[in-house]
Amino acid sequence: MIEFTLNEQQVSTDVSPDTPLLWVVRDNFKLKGSKFGCGAGLCGACTMHIDGVAIKTCVTPVAAVAGKSVTTIEGLGTPDDLHPLQAAWHEYAVPQCGYCQSGQIMAAAALLESNPNPSGADIDAAMSGNICRCGCYPRIKRAIQSVSESALAYDATVTTGGQA
Amino acid sequence: MNTVNVSRRRFLQSSAVAGGGLVVGFTLSGCSSAPAPLPVATTEGAWTPNAFLQVLPDNTIRFYTARSEMGQGVTTGLSTLVGEELDVNPLDMEIRLASVHEDYVNPDFGMQGTGGSSSIHAHYLQLRQVGANTRALILEAAAQDLGVPTNALTTDNGFVIHGDARYPYAQFVNTAQTLTITADAPLKPVTEFQYIGKETRRVDAIAKSTGTAEFGLDVDVPGMHYAVVVRPPVARAKALSFDASAAKTMSGVTDVVEVGSGVAVVAKTFWQAQQAAKNVAVEWESVALDRVSTASLRADYAAALDAGDGVEAPNDGDVASALSGAVTTLQAEYWAPLLSHSPMEPVNAVVRIEGEYADVWTGIQFPSAVPGLVSRVADIPTENVRFHQCYLGGGFGRRGTPTHLVEATQIAVATGKPIQLVWTRENDIQQGPFRPASLMRIKAGVDHDGKLIAWDAARAGGDISPDTFRSLLPALYSWMGDGMVEGVANISEWYFENFVTDESSTEGLFEDYDHPNTRVTHMTVDHELPLTFWRSVGHSSTAFAKESMIDELAHAAGVDEVTFRLQNTRNNPRLNNVIRVAGEHMAKMNPPAGHFLGFAAHHSFRTDVAEIAEVSVEAGKIRVHKVTCVLDCGQAVNPDIVRAQMEGGIVYGLTAALYGELNLSQGAITESNFHDYPILRMDESPEIEVIIIDSGTQPTGVGEPGLPPIAPAVANAVFKATGQRLRDLPLKLA
Repeated sequence: MIEFTLNEQQVSTDVSPDTPLLWVVRDNFKLKGSKFGCGAGLCGACTMHIDGVAIKTCVTPVAAVAGKSVTTIEGLGTPDDLHPLQAAWHEYAVPQCGYCQSGQIMAAAALLESNPNPSGADIDAAMSGNICRCGCYPRIKRAIQSVSESALAYDATVTTGGQA
Repeated sequence: MNTVNVSRRRFLQSSAVAGGGLVVGFTLSGCSSAPAPLPVATTEGAWTPNAFLQVLPDNTIRFYTARSEMGQGVTTGLSTLVGEELDVNPLDMEIRLASVHEDYVNPDFGMQGTGGSSSIHAHYLQLRQVGANTRALILEAAAQDLGVPTNALTTDNGFVIHGDARYPYAQFVNTAQTLTITADAPLKPVTEFQYIGKETRRVDAIAKSTGTAEFGLDVDVPGMHYAVVVRPPVARAKALSFDASAAKTMSGVTDVVEVGSGVAVVAKTFWQAQQAAKNVAVEWESVALDRVSTASLRADYAAALDAGDGVEAPNDGDVASALSGAVTTLQAEYWAPLLSHSPMEPVNAVVRIEGEYADVWTGIQFPSAVPGLVSRVADIPTENVRFHQCYLGGGFGRRGTPTHLVEATQIAVATGKPIQLVWTRENDIQQGPFRPASLMRIKAGVDHDGKLIAWDAARAGGDISPDTFRSLLPALYSWMGDGMVEGVANISEWYFENFVTDESSTEGLFEDYDHPNTRVTHMTVDHELPLTFWRSVGHSSTAFAKESMIDELAHAAGVDEVTFRLQNTRNNPRLNNVIRVAGEHMAKMNPPAGHFLGFAAHHSFRTDVAEIAEVSVEAGKIRVHKVTCVLDCGQAVNPDIVRAQMEGGIVYGLTAALYGELNLSQGAITESNFHDYPILRMDESPEIEVIIIDSGTQPTGVGEPGLPPIAPAVANAVFKATGQRLRDLPLKLA
């Protein structure tokens, strides 16, 4: 029996310990927001947070998250309570087919947690593990920059009429 | 004004006529006289005036999107068309993905298909008319209920307005259902548009940013089992025998069954099925393709070009004498390899058969194929197949081929279980169907005035239409036996080899420039590789050859590349204008030292596009820093989505230009996943600027036309940077 925290809830599973976390979350816990793209840790569609770090879960055995905290796209925000990145994805019309976007947003959220004011190069480095076949990269970058700490601070000063 | 009974069928037919003669209501089978019931939700109290709209008691406006949403933004685009005239903000609508019904056909195709960058063009007037007629009916009902003249009423985003009072549309649906409908309610003039042409967000962005958009892979029905098919290393080889004894003992495995394309392993979870599939030993038959390598394939194409005995079309003027009289003549050979589409969502389908009924969930570009294929395999009536369209996790042409539905149905029949069939990424990259490889030769001549006078182009390679027949005929014509389907496909191969060029094999190779003496020769060379449409189809290869040669000619003639193109596109004024505007932008650019600008322009899917690539070559690596894209697509229904489609086409095309190639060794594809079939990533993605020319015509395509110019634009910049003409895709420096 493997126990871990999934979107702030204690869960346990008795699947074979080498089963990738992605499939446990999708098939056993029925959270379908995280996607299967390559099965080899090459595309990032399966990205979740494990103790706050963005991890490709199609190659992460569920045994490796015993006692840890897993967050999926469903735990980041919901249509009625959007995470700022999800709101930015809507504002900048980022998604096309949308299939890779859960993984993109989870990678971006982990980046901003550790680096609230990423440079363009920081964003490239943090996001280049996630493939988007539709070519949404310019918009992903713009959306991430729009919710960086400095952009939000700038927005706040504009809204309140204050000075930067 | 004409008025007719508010029968849904006649409403649509009349709408179609009023909408400029678009054909709506095409019946595929041609053998049922009564219209099938609409496959829409039976929400209590909902009013369904036509196949596209429902008004719910809480004033929710539900819109059924007839075209497949694969990222191109068609749910937003089509809801904008209907919403403009219905006066409902598309972002406030509830969007549903339509099932199969004759009212949902693509007016361009006569069947339910999404492709060819056709959707907005095809539905532009039809859906606006649907919206206008429905609004007129609601207004008439409101006038009657409120006891005021119709001209005292207006509307605003789902509400009828009378003075200061606002009444939801839903309030009037009971009366509306008793009225006759105006079939040709006037459409708004362009100057009154409030949604078309305005910056709007996407109707699907929140669902796709929160993991709540349902793709085929996300469907989960009670009792569902997962299937993975062990497939041959060489396309289309059949299993002679197999040993699944080891696989059957593995955890979760419930069934191992042979299907037409290989051996299916069925388990309680996908992971179990995938692991067990690795333990099935299969002996495959030998096929002719076993002897083919990339080198031998290309040599076969070169030999065909040398023989030159293909189909000539067109053959205008006298190419040979024009070439002999030219001041500048050039000849060059261009190569485009086999490619995989590799949509991010691997191909998959869920099929559940219960008695005489089947439910099918998948995201597919040709929903019309679903009932016929499933009924054929499961031996149940076509009308008993219920199709549930899902979001497509990328299409690019790959989701036009429905073979996975045949497999999933075969497995569901054989096991008696609801089945989700999933193609692995390795299946996706190695099994096809592929973008055909092409070897193209162009010989061209320019006179002393810099005018193109001769264009002699040839292409050798496979055709995609025979495989299209193989996959769609059994779906569309239930009376055709498998032998007849194969016979028709074989006849079509013979036909394309000997009599008529498959249009997609040479499209884009010769149409854009004014050369009075033009000859195009096509040599079909068939290696029995499975082939299909790939984003921008023939243009994805031919634009590279054509625009590289144009650049070479301009250079050889000593004329700058924009002037040369302007001088030789006078018969294509819209393309000429796009080149002119792009050239003006290029003239103002000041790339930093070491960066070079390459230019290319191309017409495809009714749209004209020019692209300027800013490129550097550093340490032997081609880097694309910025792309400027100028296009004329007529009325841009959603300009931001037009920009997104250009961005997407450019990035997809850059992957092909810089990395894309599948190679054959003893008939098997040697690449298998994203480590050896690399996709452009964010750190290599250029800045992209898109400039839309508003020419005021009706909308033309945007899903594909952004792609064809990018490879030649980059190659032409690489020439400036290095002096090397790279004539093979992907581009590799010597």
